[in-house]
Amino acid sequence: MSPQLFFLLASILFSIGLVGLVSRKNLFVLYMSIELMLSSVNLLLATFSKVLGDAGGSVIALLIIAVIAAEAALFLAMTVHIYRNNRTVDSDHFDKLREEAHNA
Amino acid sequence: MLEISIFTILATFMLGGSIAMISNKQTLFSAFGFLVAMIGLAGMFALLDSRFLAIAQIMVSVGAVVVLSMLTILTVNAKNENLPDEPHKYKWILFSSFLVLPFTLLMYKSTTALYQSFSSMEAISSKVVGKLLFSEWVLPFEIVSILLLAAMVGAVVIARKERRKKERRKSKERP
Amino acid sequence: MLSLIVILPFLSAFIMGVVYLGDTKKKRYLFYTLIGVGIPAISTVLSFIFGIQLLGGSEPIHHTLFQWISIGDFNIEIAFMADRLSVVMISFITFIGTLIHIYAAGYMKEDEGYGKFFAYFNLFMGSMLLLVLADNPIMMFVGWELVGLSSYLLIGFYHKESSNITAANKAFILNRVGDFGFIMAISLLFISLEGSGFTFESIKANISMIDHETLTLIGILLFVGAMGKSAQIPLYVWLPDAMAGPTPVSALIHAATMVTAGVYMVARYSFIYIEIPDVGLFIASIGAASALFAAIIASYQSDIKKILAYSTMSQLGYMFMAVGLGAYSSGIFHVFTHAFFKALLFMGAGAVIIALHHEQNIFKMGGLKKELKLVYITMFIATLAISGIPPFAGFFSKDAILITAFASEHYILWSIGSLTAMLTAFYMFRLLFTVFHSQPTQRKKLHALPATMTTPLVILAFGSATVGFLGANEAYGGNSWINTFLALPDRALNISHATEYMLGGLNVFLGLLGMGLAYKLFAQEAQEAKEDSLFRKVVIHKFYIDEIYGFFILKPLLVLSDFIAKVMDPKIFDGFIYLNVWGYRKAAVLFNRLQNGKVRYYALYILIGVSVMSYYLILKLKVMS
Repeated sequence: MSPQLFFLLASILFSIGLVGLVSRKNLFVLYMSIELMLSSVNLLLATFSKVLGDAGGSVIALLIIAVIAAEAALFLAMTVHIYRNNRTVDSDHFDKLREEAHNA
Repeated sequence: MLEISIFTILATFMLGGSIAMISNKQTLFSAFGFLVAMIGLAGMFALLDSRFLAIAQIMVSVGAVVVLSMLTILTVNAKNENLPDEPHKYKWILFSSFLVLPFTLLMYKSTTALYQSFSSMEAISSKVVGKLLFSEWVLPFEIVSILLLAAMVGAVVIARKERRKKERRKSKERP
Repeated sequence: MLSLIVILPFLSAFIMGVVYLGDTKKKRYLFYTLIGVGIPAISTVLSFIFGIQLLGGSEPIHHTLFQWISIGDFNIEIAFMADRLSVVMISFITFIGTLIHIYAAGYMKEDEGYGKFFAYFNLFMGSMLLLVLADNPIMMFVGWELVGLSSYLLIGFYHKESSNITAANKAFILNRVGDFGFIMAISLLFISLEGSGFTFESIKANISMIDHETLTLIGILLFVGAMGKSAQIPLYVWLPDAMAGPTPVSALIHAATMVTAGVYMVARYSFIYIEIPDVGLFIASIGAASALFAAIIASYQSDIKKILAYSTMSQLGYMFMAVGLGAYSSGIFHVFTHAFFKALLFMGAGAVIIALHHEQNIFKMGGLKKELKLVYITMFIATLAISGIPPFAGFFSKDAILITAFASEHYILWSIGSLTAMLTAFYMFRLLFTVFHSQPTQRKKLHALPATMTTPLVILAFGSATVGFLGANEAYGGNSWINTFLALPDRALNISHATEYMLGGLNVFLGLLGMGLAYKLFAQEAQEAKEDSLFRKVVIHKFYIDEIYGFFILKPLLVLSDFIAKVMDPKIFDGFIYLNVWGYRKAAVLFNRLQNGKVRYYALYILIGVSVMSYYLILKLKVMS
């Protein structure tokens, strides 16, 4: 068993997360793609921890899991709030960032 | 031999789960895919001799995060009509995967160029983690705990229903 | 001191202009007259002083004001040079100029633009003196241009009539066409000299540096400038129209001084023209053709000033004939005598016009010899002078020119010149007899003429009668004083006294013949020329030259301008810009659609960027190998 396999897996997982982030409109899928990306980084950290023989990598991964938990709480709370006001979980619905087109 | 076969199984779980997650229309099915992927990840951690991390992953990521998201999904309970319609979903996925390909390649190549083999070490048990957590990594540990507190408070504030303003408005309208 | 001659008129023009602009309505008659006439008088005195100095045998006087341009080899100073040629020119320019200024004080008295007139008039004086006293071709060109400008300002003086402005424009534009040749000549001269100084004296010294073809080209191009300024064929059409200006303007500018600038220029560049006698022959031919052409047209004209304008063109033709054939002194001498009698003729004509309350058609005048006795006598003297009757001035100068033509065996030119001499006598006496002798028409009481207008006439009549002797040949008892004084590189002529007497006699005979013919036809009853035959019709319409120019030159230009303005400009240039604007708008719409506020798309854009960079890195880092 060599680290290359783990590296490959982590890269692929990250890409899948990225693809999901860009392609889907559903807010929940968006959230889960982000989680997937974070988890792939965790995997990478754990691999390095074993490669270098240092337990610190594991500790960092642990702390990251804690952050994931915090983020979950906030994201889901926001989703609930948004759904209450707008009755939709479509991320394309929220386009106030753009300027209104002027009549040329 | 054994390890590689275990790795293969776990990898299949993870990949299958994630792909299912990003390509399903129903939200709950995506959540199930995500669940499978997280469990696979926990197995991976165990394979990498980070036992405490594996347990923590199951407890937090699976037990808390996934469960919580499923709860929220069910609370929101969007009917099929209210779900966003994504006509070109597969086209988008294909296009983005094509875009992301070189990045993946780059990441893989850069990491493999660095390290070619595992070093031999004993498994990272909770004892080791505990020691490190309270000696070398105590500052991040404390900060993360504050972060968790803030997140909790924030979540409560964001998600609560705004009754008081509506009551005030009603009381003003009456007289 | 020398520069004062030029600076004083400019200064007075400036002062009068500023004062005039201060209050256009106020009549400061005394102020303007004092300065306007006094300054040219001072210039006259100064010119005579320098003339006497040079008469006493001194070297040419130089005076440099300051360095104007200094770029590498191109060094131009504002400098003046008074050598014998310039001193002769400035003497009669300032003298006759002052007399005409005095005359103008009387002529323009009633006009409300009195101050403006004298400002322009003095500007002209300064410019002409600058032209003549210039030390180098560039300064001469500055004077040349300024003279053209003054001419424009003065022709269009009665600016309320739009036809006057058109005439002024015509003069200026035709002048400009000539100036194009002039500028090219100066530039060629400068380039060929390759940085060895650019004053007249240094050019004269270095003339051998330039090869013959370039010299020929320079000579021709310089003459193109002269064609415009001195109204020779083909650039003459502005001169008759220029008579729209006040009569003093016609007298000074278009008779005595400005139009002779071309002749002066050829004489100044005599060191070039002696090397290229073929160009000289070309100049002489143009001169002869112009002389004859103008004489024919003048014989059928009815406006008194137009007759005199064509007469000027004709006499200028004589001058060019002289300088073209290498007789530079004779040409300058004819300039000198012509200034006297032509100025006198114009001033007399002006007196008649004023007396008859601005009537200019000679067939509406008649029998004035009793009422305007002084004018009659002086104009009679001038007409005799121009017809070449001895002992008046015109005889000696015209005779010298025709003798040159005969002696250098250009018999065609000689015969054209003689024929023109007869025609000159004819049309000039036609004018005199019609105005003063023939049947008077019904008219009102004559306007009185002030002394300021009549005194100069007398002085100039005296001059017309006597100055001829300054240049009389040995055959007639003179010693060609002016030729020796000018010391220009004239061609040597071999001609016996007998031939000279014969030719002189022929000239006198032709003159008397013309006079007699005019007497017979016009002294008793003068009739305006009618358009009976085709020949008459063509000549009365001045050979339709103006119409030809209009059709072949102006019309295509106007069509082209129209095309450019209506088609090319809006469609092509503006169209190109509109195309740009359209492109920008389309691009803007496209970019607008990219910025749709959806975060997902923004993430995609980031991904695209990262992807491109990754592709690039993969290629560069040769990760695949």
